[in-house]
Amino acid sequence: MKNRLKVLRAERDWSQGDLAQRLEVSRQSVNAIETGKFDPSLPLAFKLARLFGQPIEEIFTDDEENSESAS
Amino acid sequence: MEGKTKDLARSRHNRQLIVFSVLLALAGSLDAWVFIRRHPTGVLAYALAVLPALPMIGIMADFGLYVAALKDEVMRSIIYQSMLWSIGATLGFTTVWGFLEAFVHIPHLQPLLVMPVFGLFVGVSLFLVARRYE
Repeated sequence: MKNRLKVLRAERDWSQGDLAQRLEVSRQSVNAIETGKFDPSLPLAFKLARLFGQPIEEIFTDDEENSESAS
Repeated sequence: MEGKTKDLARSRHNRQLIVFSVLLALAGSLDAWVFIRRHPTGVLAYALAVLPALPMIGIMADFGLYVAALKDEVMRSIIYQSMLWSIGATLGFTTVWGFLEAFVHIPHLQPLLVMPVFGLFVGVSLFLVARRYE
């Protein structure tokens, strides 16, 4: 699953540590989610959506959805 | 806030680990002394024999509670995966050892050594699994 966390974070000039603090998780977790190595749970995804004021699908995109739109 | 909660949980877990380790050392030493000098028998012998196992069970239970209380999803996932790898590795290791013991007559593996072997596999697994999320 791809995501726009890095862009959204950069727009707000937040470090991974800042975002981690706001989400109440570790910086390693933010890094793992941001790099697509870990897919967050729905509660955490909703928390991110609330934090950035955007719907979940604007932050996370399904790989399948990406391949469909490319073809 | 999560950081503080995590730190509190971790320091509580570390404290418990120290307490159980001290109890394990005391129970082991007591058993060694009693069984060499006094040769207990009957129910007392059984009770004393299982005494060192109790802190070891305590360590496992405390670790389980610590993991269950972890709110950080990535950390929890790393620990769960490491546990599964370690259980598999320990079962594999003891199975291979068991067959070697049965057919090639290598030295007997004391069952109480399974826990340290498992701990070793947990350490290696944690290191390797955590690297995947860096």
